[in-house]
Amino acid sequence: MATVLWLHGGACNGNTMSFLNAEYPSVCDLVTDFGIEILWHPSAGLEMGNQVQALLRDIVNEKIPLDIFVFEGTVVLGPNGTGRYNMFAGRPMKDWVYELAHVAKFVVAVGNCACQGNIPAVPPNPTESTGLQFHKTKKGGFLGENFVSRGGLPVINIPGCPAHYDWITQVLVALAVGRAGDIELDEYNRPLTFFKTFSQTGCTRVQFHEWKISAEEFGQGTRKGCLFYELGCRGPLTHAPCNRILWNGVSSKQRSGHPCIGCTEFAFPWFDLAPGTIFKTQKVAGVIPKEAVYESDKLTYMLHAVTARIAAPKWATEDMFVV
Amino acid sequence: MATKQHLVIDPLARLEGDVRADVFVEDGHVVDVQVEAVMFRGFEIILRGKDPLAGLIVTPRVCGICGGSHLYKACQAIDTAWRTEVPPNAWHIRNIAQACETLQSVPRWYYAIFAIDFVNKNYAKSKLYDEVVKRWAPFVGTSYKIGLEISALPVKIYAMFGGQWPHSSFMVPGGVMCAPQLDHITRAYALLERYRTEWLEKVWLGCSVDRWLENKTWDDVLKWLDESESHRNSDCGLFIRFCLENGLDKYGAGVNAFLACGTYIDPEFYPVSTIEGRNQALQAPSGVVYNGKYYVFDQMNVREDITHSYFEGSSLLHPWEGETVPLDPDVAKKQGKYSWAKSPRYLIDGKPVPLEAGPLARQVVAGYEEAKSACNASGCIEHAIDPLFRNIVNKIGPSVMVRVLARMHEAVKYYKWVKAWLAKVNFDDDRFYKKPKELPEGKGYGGTEAARGALQDWIVIENGKIKNYQIVTPTAWNIGPKDSKGQMGPIEKAIVGAPIKNPEDPIEVAHVARSFDSCLVCTVHVYDKKRGKEIARYKLGTFK
Repeated sequence: MATVLWLHGGACNGNTMSFLNAEYPSVCDLVTDFGIEILWHPSAGLEMGNQVQALLRDIVNEKIPLDIFVFEGTVVLGPNGTGRYNMFAGRPMKDWVYELAHVAKFVVAVGNCACQGNIPAVPPNPTESTGLQFHKTKKGGFLGENFVSRGGLPVINIPGCPAHYDWITQVLVALAVGRAGDIELDEYNRPLTFFKTFSQTGCTRVQFHEWKISAEEFGQGTRKGCLFYELGCRGPLTHAPCNRILWNGVSSKQRSGHPCIGCTEFAFPWFDLAPGTIFKTQKVAGVIPKEAVYESDKLTYMLHAVTARIAAPKWATEDMFVV
Repeated sequence: MATKQHLVIDPLARLEGDVRADVFVEDGHVVDVQVEAVMFRGFEIILRGKDPLAGLIVTPRVCGICGGSHLYKACQAIDTAWRTEVPPNAWHIRNIAQACETLQSVPRWYYAIFAIDFVNKNYAKSKLYDEVVKRWAPFVGTSYKIGLEISALPVKIYAMFGGQWPHSSFMVPGGVMCAPQLDHITRAYALLERYRTEWLEKVWLGCSVDRWLENKTWDDVLKWLDESESHRNSDCGLFIRFCLENGLDKYGAGVNAFLACGTYIDPEFYPVSTIEGRNQALQAPSGVVYNGKYYVFDQMNVREDITHSYFEGSSLLHPWEGETVPLDPDVAKKQGKYSWAKSPRYLIDGKPVPLEAGPLARQVVAGYEEAKSACNASGCIEHAIDPLFRNIVNKIGPSVMVRVLARMHEAVKYYKWVKAWLAKVNFDDDRFYKKPKELPEGKGYGGTEAARGALQDWIVIENGKIKNYQIVTPTAWNIGPKDSKGQMGPIEKAIVGAPIKNPEDPIEVAHVARSFDSCLVCTVHVYDKKRGKEIARYKLGTFK
């Protein structure tokens, strides 16, 4: 048994939509099989108006125990720190968030916005958005560096834009069945069980990466090759299980020819979307990827790349993903 | 003197975003309303000065619910600015993906967002209540569970082509990123058929999709209802019976004027991406219906009125000239402003009018034969021109019931269309992308029909970066506040007149608002009521 309250701040609902795609367990399974009681969710709750306000006050006053507080979206502080750009149930959402986080046993940030501010916090950050416990890569955010919920954990960050449903449901189940102690967190408070490996781990293009064979361009040009060298793929640089735990159970960005955009890292969106940075690998001297994935100097990298290309087997230069 | 009550509903939930509604009730009916979008998101400001492709990453994240639709039109906006030549296969894949997003949205919206209100205790006396609870109660209802779980299938098709749903950016100027394989196509058929057999026919219709599509008039629908137990007892049958029993066919009309910017490009009519050529190439036709007359849609007639929006000024600008300068709501309220939504208007003979966007709008527009001559491609796909909802609106008028039926009807059509487009993906002409020339200057326009209505972007590119970006969402069309002339938008207008049986739980307001499937997260830019204090006899629910 665990009670869950889920609220939206400066949110696009993408994480909720992702969550509703869940299988094994589905969202209905969470309720019927795992005793998860969803006290309220903005897209699924029956209550509105006064009933919601009364519920929130009962939680804050601890008449109703809150086991898991899930927050999706940024904490909106604008204008000028007032939070009036995001009102909810009669007051700035940020005030609800502060009080609820302090009565909940566990606080879970679902998706990048709640984790670190994400796209809304890209300069000029017109809404003065921030994450629950990080602002971009910097610890702190809305609740502060030292925040620990009553259950003894900092905000559990499930990043991604959106977060994969499975990352959310498995963490909820772990908390609901008393396995909070098994959730080990990394430096960004991400559960290591999901965010130790790279987005590239399990990528169907990884053989092309090893032989340094690049995808030529989008569309039919992605029938072979690795997306890292030209098309800006961040697979080797991004901690995420997208190619271990497939999206919608069937695919991943890279498998469909879509470069990884590094959305589980706290600097996302990368380079603040500056001109020339989208779907284009940033390079030194026009050839060497600027963000090397190897622990070596540029010359060693070049030698390795040239050697790999010369040694590449014939198939590596042919279409792999054919009709 | 009648008793006037002022109800504050905050939050008016399940609108995919937060809304506060101030409802004024007299003699058991709503006589005035103000709907406030209570959140500012600032995406258009963020986009300025960024990479021209930034819209592909940013706009789907305006709204996780119709991110695929955001991507479709964001991409088209750059396509038109760069005059790309998108290969036919790429258009088919874009169309399949976006329609699959809508196929997902129909059951998910119906069960998770809309129908659970019928479980409300206000309806406990209904003869159909036990059945409604059994099927539609959240999380545990028999159909709820099937509907929610089936909604994940169409987006598996999306994910095969786009890598994931939500939030893919796989449509790029010049085509798509993917180069599908045979098994993607074959599996897509399998997923569609599962959607049809397990939910659309078995649970929703209680008949074949082809039998449903024989309905051309409201009388046909009533005849269909009585034709068999299987029809009456289907979720669609139960929905219609419940609506007729509880008067949901009698309120929620709105402005009775409609906008569809159309979508689903037929590549045969669109060799080069241009704004001028777009209408001709639409398979789901565009058009404006005002005072019962059809007008050819022209994006140049779109304006945004910000008189009552929390933005600086009171301009009425075309989106290319659009401005987004936010005000502190506390300051703005003193100027009589009351919402974060802008109020889009359409010029008819130079006069800005409010229009409803959404499935009902699309289906009414599709009822006009003129739409076929305005959009040549619509003649090429079955049921693009479809008389059913024009007839229903003429016969019984728009209402909560009719609006919901229009949306459900689209699941049937889109199921057929996705199959037709899958058949068109041609591996002999194996092109899914043609690299465009990235022009440093240009103006673009992209439009599509998200599940909830016309969704459009206007982009101005200068010196290789975004100079201006404006997004006009269906929710803004529907939920925007009054304009400079005091004309209400569709949702405010539709709420006025609604009966309120129980002022402690005014579920009828929620039915109307939710029938539009508004999505406030998408109202990139909805809140007032100055008069409340003077008029209100009672103030229900103001916890400070």
